[in-house]
Amino acid sequence: MNEILTSRKLSKSYGPTHALRDVSISITQGEKIAILGANGAGKSTLMKVFSGAVQPDNGTMELNGSSYAPKTPNEAIVKGVSTIYQEPFFFPHLSVLENLLMGQAMQARKGLLSLKELTKQASELISQVSLEPKILKKNMSSLSLAEQQLILIARSVDQNVKLLILDEPTTILTDTEASRLFAIVDNLAISGTSICYITHRFDELDRVADRFIVMRDGEISGELQEPDKARILKMMGTETSMTSSRAMPPAMAQESKLDSNGSEMLTVSNLTAQGKFNDVSFTVGSGQIVGFYGLIGSGRTEVAKAIFGELPLQSGSINFKGKPFVPRSARRSMEAGLAYLTEDRKTQGIFKFLSIRENITISIIARLQSFGIIKKPAEIEASNQAVSRHAIKTQDVNNLITSLSGGNQQKVLLARLLISNAELFILDEPTRGIDVKTKSEIHDAIIEVARNGNAVLLITSELPELVRLSDVVHVLRKGEIIASYSNSAINEKDILSSATALSA
Amino acid sequence: MKPSSLKTDERTLALLKNIQVFMLPVLLVFSLILFATLSPVFLTAANLTNVAVNSVDLALVAAGLTLILLMGGIDVSTGFAVGLTAWFVGTLSGLNLNPYLILVAAIVIGATIGLFNGSLTVFFGIPSIVATIGTAAIYQTLLFLLWNSRDVFAEPVTPFLSGSGRWLGVPTLIWLVLLIYLALHVVLTKTSFGRSIFAIGSNPEAANLIGLKIRRTRFIVYATLGGLIGLAAVTYLGRVGVVQAYSGNEITFLAIASVVVGGTSILGGEGSILRTLGGVAFIMILNNGSVLAGVPSIWNGVVIGSIILLAVSLKGAVVILERKRSGI
Repeated sequence: MNEILTSRKLSKSYGPTHALRDVSISITQGEKIAILGANGAGKSTLMKVFSGAVQPDNGTMELNGSSYAPKTPNEAIVKGVSTIYQEPFFFPHLSVLENLLMGQAMQARKGLLSLKELTKQASELISQVSLEPKILKKNMSSLSLAEQQLILIARSVDQNVKLLILDEPTTILTDTEASRLFAIVDNLAISGTSICYITHRFDELDRVADRFIVMRDGEISGELQEPDKARILKMMGTETSMTSSRAMPPAMAQESKLDSNGSEMLTVSNLTAQGKFNDVSFTVGSGQIVGFYGLIGSGRTEVAKAIFGELPLQSGSINFKGKPFVPRSARRSMEAGLAYLTEDRKTQGIFKFLSIRENITISIIARLQSFGIIKKPAEIEASNQAVSRHAIKTQDVNNLITSLSGGNQQKVLLARLLISNAELFILDEPTRGIDVKTKSEIHDAIIEVARNGNAVLLITSELPELVRLSDVVHVLRKGEIIASYSNSAINEKDILSSATALSA
Repeated sequence: MKPSSLKTDERTLALLKNIQVFMLPVLLVFSLILFATLSPVFLTAANLTNVAVNSVDLALVAAGLTLILLMGGIDVSTGFAVGLTAWFVGTLSGLNLNPYLILVAAIVIGATIGLFNGSLTVFFGIPSIVATIGTAAIYQTLLFLLWNSRDVFAEPVTPFLSGSGRWLGVPTLIWLVLLIYLALHVVLTKTSFGRSIFAIGSNPEAANLIGLKIRRTRFIVYATLGGLIGLAAVTYLGRVGVVQAYSGNEITFLAIASVVVGGTSILGGEGSILRTLGGVAFIMILNNGSVLAGVPSIWNGVVIGSIILLAVSLKGAVVILERKRSGI
């Protein structure tokens, strides 16, 4: 087999930290490899070097036998290395066809073409990712996340794409959508494209690659032909095992106790928001973690947002702490004792120009002041407590939040909610795109929240997480709760079949 | 392969950030030295006092505008708002009313104008740039109609709001400006309200989800700018003595220039009000110095414009490099 991309002793430093140290890899034609590692292990940097977004300090690369040193992502694409990033990047207000026209494959065609001709070429392009031509006329923003991702793949799949890099492509996809993606990528591999995955999801390892490369502290710490999870974890250097050994749902012990005195924190009855969800009823007790599962478009985030006051309701009623609760706005919900962790950390979560400390205490800033003046010592104490309690890794809380890794930023956002007086926590994808170790720490924090008598509504696409944490699981499909499981009845297989069975 | 290209990026980033921080002080010192050598009159107490007194209305508007920019907004109607308010102040002055009543009226009129701008963005969700382009045209037309080819002449409302008032030998106007800047600096850095302004400017969606009072904050900020516009109208009239069809219009541009040259990000969330005062000082020194040095002041626009472009480009370059560093 001939080698497509070879790197020799790539090194890269950011200040004192070595993001990459002497990384040598070779990928052969049509091969699928997975790069694994904790956050900060260097896998993203490596992909950026491959894709021309970052230039190495030392080392060389070869692509198809000739020297390869892309200075820009565009140069890499022209030479045949395309990257699909974790967060889809596209033009939401333009049609699918127009979005495709931005891609290299279409750009390469010089001169004026008729709309008919362009549509024909674009249809061929998207047929490679199993999409119908009628989708071309739709607005990009009206597509599901999965479809958007496929369009992006189509956009980057030129005839001469040699290496396709996928940076955690499935974090925002549900499992069925992910399988569809894998099937399409498999086809690309069969036709000779090499594939390089970055992933955090252990449950999909079997599906994604033939070879597994594990990174740690900027170096390659091991390579495996089999997705042996225990060995991979060891190579990653994580102390906590996440092998989903069906640990007993955490709050279960309390739950049975609570059932007897029936302390229900949140009761939702017949909630309906036109076109989003219909007749949704459930309860969350104090000390309980209630999981919401559903494919993209099932309405799970919408239900959460409606309860939090960010989406108007047509009918239904909500009872919170024994009193009727009418959600009006995020602010009033916060004041009433609800807290919402957004699934979109970057655009709805962090304040990028504020420090770590300010990002933590912003939720209680009204409590930390007297006559409008912020009580500095109280603020510093509150943030220091949160930093040590959640093991947020930073040298100085006065640094900007953007100096933290994604996982630690997420811990900050969680800490921010936990120090508020909230008693009901709505957590939307709390561990998306976060390394295994941090994920496990966040799980522990969520368990502790429930153990302290709070209620948690957990929305997640990751089945192991759902199963590990939830006392009760509701499965949503097309805006309705179609199945519910509690305690020992919670298992991945049943949940998944409920979520998908009716879609046939 | 360029082994050092990222180190170069790091160095460039550090350099750009240093330029951002030191550009204003360097410009100030440089212009002071330049004009001091070019004109013997420039560096005299009388002239510098004169510069300071003449910059009061600009300084007041720029102070309020800093809050708006920090919050992620902009206001391009300030100049005509000052002119319009000044017309009312001038007209009221002709009625022999109690001067403090006129002062209060000016602030109320200014705040009303500010709240009008604020309502458009807060209630109707119109982007502040669009809303204030619209209101700028409205205020300009209103002023033109009210003016109706009759210039309004007026004496300063009270001595302490004119260049002649002194306290401890320093013009009262300068004390006023310093007091307001200091107060707003405290508000921005020490209060929960100030923290909210930075948070909203940094990420309005996150600010909403964490329960900050966004509307209230925006309203208060727009009203604050409006109140300062009212005050500025009084000092403007006291300085110029007459209201005409286009009175005040030059303030719009100079106020934005002062804030941006002072280093406050046009994108919101980052900046400092004390540096805005430096921006005001630089622009006024440039205007005064070039006149005294006999340099055609027609070039001032080019100088100020270039510095704005430089400041905004620096910001842009820093954003790009930081994005590159932290990954796409």
